[in-house]
Amino acid sequence: MNDLLIIGAGLAGLTAAYSAAQAGQTVKVIAAGMGVTHWHAGTIDLLGYSADGRGVARPLEATGDLPAEHPYRLLGADRLSAALTDFTALTAELGLPYAGAQNAGDNLWLPSPVGAARPTFLAPAGQAAGDLSTSQPLLIVGIEGMRDFYPKLIAENLGQQGHTARHAFLPLSLLTPRHDVTTVQLAKVLEEPSRLAQLAEALARLVQPGERIGLPAILGCDDHPAVLTRLQEATGVPVCEIPTLPPSVPGIRLHTRLRRRLEEMGVRVEVGMEAINFGAEGERILWVATETSSRPLKHRATNFLLATGGILGGGINSDQTGRAWEVIFDLPLTIPQARSGWFRPHFLDGAGQPVFQGGVAVNDDFQPIHPDGSPVYANLWAAGGTLAGADPIRERSLEGIAISTGRFACENVTPAANPIT
Amino acid sequence: MHNTSWHSVGNSMDECIKCNICTSYCPVAEVTEKFAGPKYSGPQAERFRALDQIAAPDHSVDYCSGCRVCNEVCPAGVKIAEINARARAQMAAQNGIPLRNRLLGRNELLGKAGSFAPALANFALHNPLSRALAEKVMGIASQAPLPRWSTDGTFSDWLAATKHQRLRSAKKVVYFHGCATQYYEPFIGQAAVAVLEHNGYEVIVPPQNCCGLPLLSNGEFGAAESYHRGNLARLAGYARAGYPVVGTSTSCTLTLKEEAPELLDLHDEATLALKGATWDIFEWLRELAEAGELRTDFQPLGTDGQPLVLPYHAPCQYRAHRVGKPSLDLLSLIPDLEIRESHARCCGIAGTYGYKVEKYRIGMDVGAELFDFVAAQGPVSLTACDSETCRWQLEHGTAIPSRHPIEVLAAAYGMYALGQRRMIGE
Repeated sequence: MNDLLIIGAGLAGLTAAYSAAQAGQTVKVIAAGMGVTHWHAGTIDLLGYSADGRGVARPLEATGDLPAEHPYRLLGADRLSAALTDFTALTAELGLPYAGAQNAGDNLWLPSPVGAARPTFLAPAGQAAGDLSTSQPLLIVGIEGMRDFYPKLIAENLGQQGHTARHAFLPLSLLTPRHDVTTVQLAKVLEEPSRLAQLAEALARLVQPGERIGLPAILGCDDHPAVLTRLQEATGVPVCEIPTLPPSVPGIRLHTRLRRRLEEMGVRVEVGMEAINFGAEGERILWVATETSSRPLKHRATNFLLATGGILGGGINSDQTGRAWEVIFDLPLTIPQARSGWFRPHFLDGAGQPVFQGGVAVNDDFQPIHPDGSPVYANLWAAGGTLAGADPIRERSLEGIAISTGRFACENVTPAANPIT
Repeated sequence: MHNTSWHSVGNSMDECIKCNICTSYCPVAEVTEKFAGPKYSGPQAERFRALDQIAAPDHSVDYCSGCRVCNEVCPAGVKIAEINARARAQMAAQNGIPLRNRLLGRNELLGKAGSFAPALANFALHNPLSRALAEKVMGIASQAPLPRWSTDGTFSDWLAATKHQRLRSAKKVVYFHGCATQYYEPFIGQAAVAVLEHNGYEVIVPPQNCCGLPLLSNGEFGAAESYHRGNLARLAGYARAGYPVVGTSTSCTLTLKEEAPELLDLHDEATLALKGATWDIFEWLRELAEAGELRTDFQPLGTDGQPLVLPYHAPCQYRAHRVGKPSLDLLSLIPDLEIRESHARCCGIAGTYGYKVEKYRIGMDVGAELFDFVAAQGPVSLTACDSETCRWQLEHGTAIPSRHPIEVLAAAYGMYALGQRRMIGE
């Protein structure tokens, strides 16, 4: 039997699995499918916008202004900083180094797929080179026929915001004889030295001295650091990746490396397993069952961590009557249980929408609690997007919450007194 | 409580959020443009496949291998592989089924036919001239790893011959051997019987049909249903009486559990009883282990103090069973056995897919990930995989013999010679 069963293989679940495995616990991770790591930009957004909608320059300092029930406030500034330091060290060790702004503690402002400036705190080194806080001109290069990446739009939008940017296209045939490719397939193509050399040559011809090059985030899967270095050497200028629409290669790289490390540590990560039920005795959860081709499969553990995400991640569901519920344990939610309470009159209201601000309320130890503050179960913890008290999409705090609560939610979890194997 | 699994195959397409995670993991779309990818051929094209439509909108769905990587990684619970399987059946109904696919779908018939004179059948099938002819005339790839008929008799022959040695016990389990064990690899069944008896179970082997999966994957739903009904007639009684039905072929057990009921829309009492009683053998043994009832009198498998290094590839069907990797869980209990777990997506054979001349190369390209993994393990004498066609493909792609984990378990109990593939003392 495992010490800890984690439900959810997003950033929160995987980070928690790493922390617990490092602490010597036996851990298993189950997940319904691949999740948010395959959609998001691979960056760690910490806090991009304050409650009044203004951009945050120094996010760690601004967390003190968040409401008391916000996951960052529950963690406290020290643990939040420690989680970021740990993440930076871990990704460097995994060969996928992350970097922050040149001025330590500032947010990076990176070009989004539509050319907006997007605040984030830590980014893969390749993306960090696109920081719009510096004035170096950008050459945005797209691939003709590649879906959902529009260099002209990006350059024009950047120009309207006062940045110097131009765009260019390269033919798809430079990279592949195929006519229709996904971002992941293109990224794998660029791990072939001959294709990479062709791209490097073409870029060297396009770029002018003093520019930096912005490319869609397809610069290699597993060999990304080598691909990036090769392009920078060939062109003599900084090369940065701009995230694409899903599937997101930078997110997949992070997921893949983290998961591989976990597997090396003996953590089983089982995807395609949908939790449908659980069993409890008194205040302890005994098992979580997943759906199979025949009978439910029970996963027993001493302790359990819920990391299934919020409405986007599938950890919280809702129906047309206005009911919203946590899908596995039916935990108490802070989401209004009436549709009239879900949204404010204005779609883009600066104060955000109540339905996205609710979630699973937890105590200081990240244990889900009843409205009176008492833990719902003695051996259940929660982390990541499922937590109440934050508005991750509006705040730009999704991944920051995931890695910090994932890192510390199980800090006080004690393994089985008498582990049965 | 919410779960998406209650969705019917057809309705599940509405859950698709177009994230393309499936396309980015699809091993077939990665190596060929002939398959547009799971999202396009599945939930997207499905909208155009209204029943009254005369022609299916795309023929690329025929290039889906059915490996179900898409189902596994989908965050929204879309039954993509099943949507594709139904679309193939619709195409087969409209366009007819080539003789080659009819033949490949008829495992049981082929097995039976060859068993009358296995040596002759092996020669007739495996000489280069007939393979060249089979490719030219039938479209069966000449290099693809076809099995050889057992020249030591069928599994049933062995059961009959060893009848007096079989264990009688109050604890009973039904064994579904499938066609491959019956006609090509009876030693897999022998190992299974040995393991089950060693744990105190009497093994009942009723007469049985092909599970029908090869027919299902070639779009012959009608013929598949008659096989399934044959199995219901012979096995549902045991299921109702509470006997577990365990199988060593991960594809057969999957068909009894889910493929036949779901694809054929069978929800009768007998189908559900059999679905509920069927187990992959390691899934069932793992339950025994968790209850503390599995015998663990294992002998070390290494030689000269060196552990046996065994690259293990979980077949795609385990992905569809959604039971994790039960053989890995059990093999890890064996001392002196160092399992190296493959994370390759698919071996490429995908049932009958890799046997087809237009798909052989695709299958080998898909399998390269697995073959490279095995090569990276250094010199090894064996690999392991639970599914027969995957083992044959694995042997074809690596030139290293492959074993079913049940053979490894039987060997660890000291009852089976892993090298010669035979029971010790017979």
